[in-house]
Order: sequence, then C-alpha cells, then structure tokens
Amino acid sequence: MIGSRRPRPDGATVAALVAAVLMTAALAMIFFYVPTDVSEGYSQRIFYFHVPIALTTYTLFVWGAVNAARYLLRRDESLDLKSYVPMHLGVIFGSLTLVTGSIWANIAWGTWWFWGDTQLTTFLIIFLFYCAYFMLRFSVEPGERRATYSAVYALLGVGLIPLSVIGVRFAQSNDLIHPITFNSNGANMDHSMFLTFLVALAAMLSLAVTMYLVELRGKRIDERVRRIRRLVEEGV
Amino acid sequence: MTAYRALLRKDLLLELRGREIVPAMLAFVIGSLVLVRFGLGGVTQAGGTQAATGLLWVAAVFTSMLALVRSFAQEREHGIWDGLLSTPADRAAIWAARASATFVFLALTQVVAVPLFWLFFLQDGPSPSILVLVAALLLADLGVAMLGSLLAGLTGGIAAREVLLPVLFLPFAIPLVTVAVRVTVHTISPQTSGFHTFEGLGFLALYDTIFGLLGWALFEYVVED
Amino acid sequence: MRSSDGDAVVCSGLVRRFGERLVLDGLEMRVPAGERVLLTGPNGSGKTTLLRVIATVLRPHGGEVRVWDKPLPAEAKQVRPDIGYVGHEPLIYPTLTVGENLALYASLYGVDGGRIGEALDQVGLAGRRADAAGDLSRGMRQRLALARATLHRPALLLLDEPTAGLDEDGRARLAGLLASHDGSAVIATHEPDWFAEVAGSELRLAAGKAA
Repeated sequence: MIGSRRPRPDGATVAALVAAVLMTAALAMIFFYVPTDVSEGYSQRIFYFHVPIALTTYTLFVWGAVNAARYLLRRDESLDLKSYVPMHLGVIFGSLTLVTGSIWANIAWGTWWFWGDTQLTTFLIIFLFYCAYFMLRFSVEPGERRATYSAVYALLGVGLIPLSVIGVRFAQSNDLIHPITFNSNGANMDHSMFLTFLVALAAMLSLAVTMYLVELRGKRIDERVRRIRRLVEEGV
Repeated sequence: MTAYRALLRKDLLLELRGREIVPAMLAFVIGSLVLVRFGLGGVTQAGGTQAATGLLWVAAVFTSMLALVRSFAQEREHGIWDGLLSTPADRAAIWAARASATFVFLALTQVVAVPLFWLFFLQDGPSPSILVLVAALLLADLGVAMLGSLLAGLTGGIAAREVLLPVLFLPFAIPLVTVAVRVTVHTISPQTSGFHTFEGLGFLALYDTIFGLLGWALFEYVVED
Repeated sequence: MRSSDGDAVVCSGLVRRFGERLVLDGLEMRVPAGERVLLTGPNGSGKTTLLRVIATVLRPHGGEVRVWDKPLPAEAKQVRPDIGYVGHEPLIYPTLTVGENLALYASLYGVDGGRIGEALDQVGLAGRRADAAGDLSRGMRQRLALARATLHRPALLLLDEPTAGLDEDGRARLAGLLASHDGSAVIATHEPDWFAEVAGSELRLAAGKAA
C-alpha cells in the first residue's frame, strides 16, 4: 500500500479475533468448567451448542428482514447484499441447528426426529422458508428485480415466524418433549450453566458477525470486479 | 374503490369467458377426493376421517396453486401490465381484485368439494358442525388468495414460475394447513385435547390479517420495475 | 396540474438498466409544452424504454426525469392521470369485448362511460363495440389502443410506433387524433417523414443516448 499511514484492521479481522477468543472461551467452559447435568448426563452439553446456534439463526433472519425493508425504502444496492448475506448464513446456521438438534434428540430420546415437538417443527418451517428464499434468488438474474423480490419475500417471512410458532403450538396436543430451559421464571439452571450459555451465545453471534463481514467483503469484491468488467466491455 | 371494482369485474369476466381456472380446479379436487376415497379403502372411522381431512386440505392447497399460477396470465402474455401500471389505479387495488377473484374461485370449488367430501367420508359418522367447517374454509381461502396473489405477482416474470410459486408458498401453507386440519377434524368428532375451535378460527383470522396487510403494502414493489 | 409555459418532459442524465445491460445511458431530452417530439433511431437504441420510463411504468435508475416539473418516480401518481401511452402491444384483453376493455380503462382513469362511444367513433371502431378484442385485425387493434390511450384526454401522449399496422383510414384517424390533441406528445417512429407536419423536433437515439 502506498502512503505512510498504517493500515487500520478492518471490521472482519476484528470480528474474527473477537470470535476466536469467545469460541475458545466457550469451548473451554463447555468442556471443562460447567458441571455435568444431573438428569441428562455429559451429552447434555450439546445444549450449549444447539440453543445458541438456534438463537443466532433467528437473529440472522431478523437482521436480513430489517435490511430487506431498508432496501425497499432506499433502493440502495448494498442493502440487498446486507439482506442476502444474513439469510444465506441463516441456512448454514439453520442446518447446524437441525443437525445438533437431531444429535441431541437421538441422545436424549433415542429418535432422530419427533414430529410432536413444537419447536423442531417450527424451526423446520422456517428452514424451509430459507431454502425457498434461495430458490427464488437463484431463479432471477442479478439486478434490481432480484433484490426487490428477495426483499419482499424476506419480509413475508417476518409474518411467518409468529404464525408458525402459534400454529404449530395449536396442532400439538403434547408440548412437553422439548426440554424447557427458559420459562417465565427465568433460566432453569444454575449460575455456572447460565454463564456458559451466555458465553456460548456470544461466541456464536460473534462467529455469525465475522462470517457476515467476511462474506460481505467477498461479495463486494465480486461486485466490483463485475462492474469493472462491464465498464471495460462497454468502453471497447 | 372504483379501480378495485373495475379490476375485480375484469378478473371475474376473464374467467367467465376463458373458463380455464375453475374447471381445472374442480377436476383436480374431485380427482383427489376420489383417489383418496379409494386409497383409504373402507376406513371411515375417526382415524380414517382424520387422514382424509388432512388429505382434503392438502388437495385444497394444491388446487389453489392451480389458480394462483394462472393469476395475471393474461397480463403477462399480452403485455398488459404496462397498460394497468400507467393508469392512476393503486397497485394494491390490482392485488386486492386478484385476491378477491381467486377467493371466489376457491369458494366455488369448495361448494362442490365439501358435499363430495361429506358423501365420501362423513356419511357414516357424526355430522360435522357445518358452520365451523365453512368458516374455516373461507378464512383459509382468504389467506391463500391474498398471500398467493402477492406471490403470483412476484413470480409472474420468472420463467420457472410454475415450480417456484408452490415452493415459495409451501412454508406458509404448513401452519395454515396444520391449524385448518385441527379445526376441521374438531368439527367432526370433538376432541378433548384442550383445543378450542374459536382459537383455531382466530388463528386463521390472524393469518389473514398479517398477510392481508403485507400483501397490501408489498404488492407495488413486486409489480413496479 | 400542468403549467402552460413549463416543459412537459425534461430528462437529464437518465440512466436505465435491464439486469446488467445499460439501455439508457445518460439521456438528455426536453419536450416543451404543446410540442410533439419524434424519437427515431435503430432498434435497441432505447426508444421504447424511454417512453416506458416517462409513462411511469419503469423507474429511472439514475439521472432525473420530470413530467410537468414533477420528478419521477416520486410523484408518478400525480402524473399518471394525464398521460396516454400506446406501446408495442395494444394492451387490451383479447377475451373481453372492445367495450369492456374501454370500460375497464375508463374506470381506472375515472372517466365517464359516455367517453367510450366518442373514443370509438374517433378511431372508427363504433360498430365493433361488442366484438371480442382478440377477433380484431392487427390494424383494428392498433386503433383500439389509440382509443384506449386518448380516452381520458391526456395532456401528454406517449406513442410507440403508432402507425404500425394501420391502413390508410387508420392513419387518417391517427392524424385526426394528433390534430385535435392540444397537449404535448413524444412519438417513437421509424417513419419520421409521415409525422413531418405535426412534429416540432426530432431526437435521434443511438445506444441509449442522443446520437
């Protein structure tokens, strides 16, 4: 780089460092600090992966929808990217949620899936929504139309969350399968477990932020290359 | 309001002249009911009825896909969007008219399908609460019509629309069908599972409200280029 | 709503893309009030796109478009009641009758039903009111498109190759329409000579901007 200024570390690098620290701390706490659960045993520790990943998925979804609304209002191309990337990450984190959930289900109940469980089914609906979002995105040429359609669909998804939560709850006659860790009285766990959970949650969120910033940067570079190529073609 | 009325009249007239949508829907739903009837054999007790109800609702959703995919077909094929969009008419009025017409087509289909369903599956058992069943159907039809018309406008310009529209609709259909089936089954043989019909219908009404508002607000973004 | 001395249309630096393709590339155009401007140029030069942008059917991607000093797309709603657009397609429903098509547009423009008869007379389709629009010949459909566009007596006419498919009588009707039109017009055409008498100026397009 030309110039005497020292280059500032960019957002992605900072986030990566923070995530690395938090992930290390979380892993350490999950495997060495937190006590073993009395009723479920050692394998209960997957909870510290599964729930933070699930919560991160929901957060990504909301973040994608917020930027979708901003895109429709401002028609700023960068907002399309900032809406798409969280949705894309949502698929990744969502898959991980389903995988960790499935592992946990197998350990705890001996099945790989249980349709009677509200939260699993709700999550599946939302995961299907993400996949549909992707199909939509790949069916349209890049440009304003694709950005608009994606934004509209993302906002429709916002209506889907409360409806699928309520709807699935209606349909289940027994909702006592999914371990209820958080209820109206607060966290149903002791301090060390709660602390570990929080660190794990922070770690997952910072991991998501890192991936968001990295992917955003990568896509911006792609976009710039494409623009340069277009300019070259038109100039010739 | 005049724009909405004029557009609704146009949509209904188009179907009256063209007769493309409703006959296809009728054929599909009758065929589905017949297949399900034979598929389930002679089972008409509670378990069989429940399965049949589920299948009825699935058939209803796929039938509505037939209608929705053909929404705005004329506007698309003959480039009439430019004509409609250059008028002062509210874009939301275009959506509302289309949703209303689709609702009418769905309701018409059910006028045939519901008696047939009763004939095939409910004759031997206790008679259902017709009022609740009709209310559930109409509420579900409205939700499907409103959300579906928005998605139809969205996928209209996409080549893969016939596959894409059902895919985009699927996640939204699940909570709808889930609750609708419970409400319908509940009207036939009342369950003691703590499920309240009123709440079920209330959910469907909430569904309609949410997607009605979203459809109203978002349609203009979908059609404007 | 429309100032008698302001410009009908002003485009400055107008940009419009389709996907990645640049169709309008910094276009400059001015249509003074009451004037008729011809748009000429080869296929693909952006004539249709330009008309569609002014008709508020397409949003500009860059630059500025003002119709009667109202910026698009922000104030497109205020502009639409006074614009009459004829596109490549006649923009009518083939399975509806001529009368039903015009009744729809009359409602959408808030125009009294009596105008339908007048408009049909003007284009020479009075006897075809009950016929299905799809049964009309190409030339008749083009006349119907003209009737549709002038139903609400717009102050600005945007015509995309209006002579296409018209026979001698049809062309005479078109000339009559233009003569009795007391507003502005932008007319894309491959036959600028035919419009020589009515046109005030010509804008030749090439690759999305003035040639």
